[in-house]
Amino acid sequence: MGLLTDEVRSLIGTRRVYTAPEPMGAAGGRYFSLAVGDDNPLYTDATFARDHGLPGVTLPPTLICETNQYAGLPADAEGYAGHTWGLSVPDTRQVRGGNRYTFGRRVRPDDVVTATWEITDATEKTNRAGADMLIVSSTATYTNQDGDFLAENTETIIFIALGAA
Amino acid sequence: MSTPTSPPAVGQPVPPLERTITLTDMVAYAGATWDWHQLHYDPAYVAEKRLPGPVVDGQVFGALLVEMLQDWLGPDSFVQTIDFTFRNLMFAGETVRCEGQVVAVSEDAVEVAMSATILGSDGADDRFAVRPASARVLLGRADGTGRP
Repeated sequence: MGLLTDEVRSLIGTRRVYTAPEPMGAAGGRYFSLAVGDDNPLYTDATFARDHGLPGVTLPPTLICETNQYAGLPADAEGYAGHTWGLSVPDTRQVRGGNRYTFGRRVRPDDVVTATWEITDATEKTNRAGADMLIVSSTATYTNQDGDFLAENTETIIFIALGAA
Repeated sequence: MSTPTSPPAVGQPVPPLERTITLTDMVAYAGATWDWHQLHYDPAYVAEKRLPGPVVDGQVFGALLVEMLQDWLGPDSFVQTIDFTFRNLMFAGETVRCEGQVVAVSEDAVEVAMSATILGSDGADDRFAVRPASARVLLGRADGTGRP
């Protein structure tokens, strides 16, 4: 053990806030639905959507948790243009643990998203192979220009010590 | 897409969703999500990392699981929560099968346990992409109720 340093522990509670420079847009939702192969008419057919009580087309639910549209960040050396904490833990490899999404309502084309990211936890464990792991949890809360709660995304990043048993 | 004629029952399987994800799909997904990390499309980059091919973005499994649930329950349903744990990487050209089973039912919601399995070239199960996964889906309404 020893991956959970005071420096890492001090990061709990750190926040970053991003507000998108423009609305999500219907085209963005249609593009995403084509990319993942989801032909749900709620994303493309306003009459169908209204027949089911919605104000018009909505975006695929998980898009808000997957897109970097709101971040407005330049791509890094590997092409990534989204939020990161820039955490670097020496002598470890980084893997994704998982995600938990909570949705308040369907995202609409005119929603302008604000994403508030926060480091919520950092813990240390040993995996079944005997390797030390640092587990960092973050939560992104997505709201719109009127303060409506849209969604929450809790994700876990795991740093696994190299060269362990 | 249609609404089921009878309410879900505990133990009932969810109609599975199977999808082959090509490099073209992955490039489209990278564009649609504003995520241009080379890991997801650049053969030279992944070769340098000693990976067998471009890596499917793990978050796409969330999209596929939601698609499976909505295709099953129809437009008058709303996925309120979903969680999923990653197990193995999936590479360009591979096929994944999402599946699930009802674990709880109430008057206005259904809870489902799910997984996503990567198939081998012979079509047999090879390894899990996602497991466990679960979701709570509101019934009888196309939209959510605000912050749960």
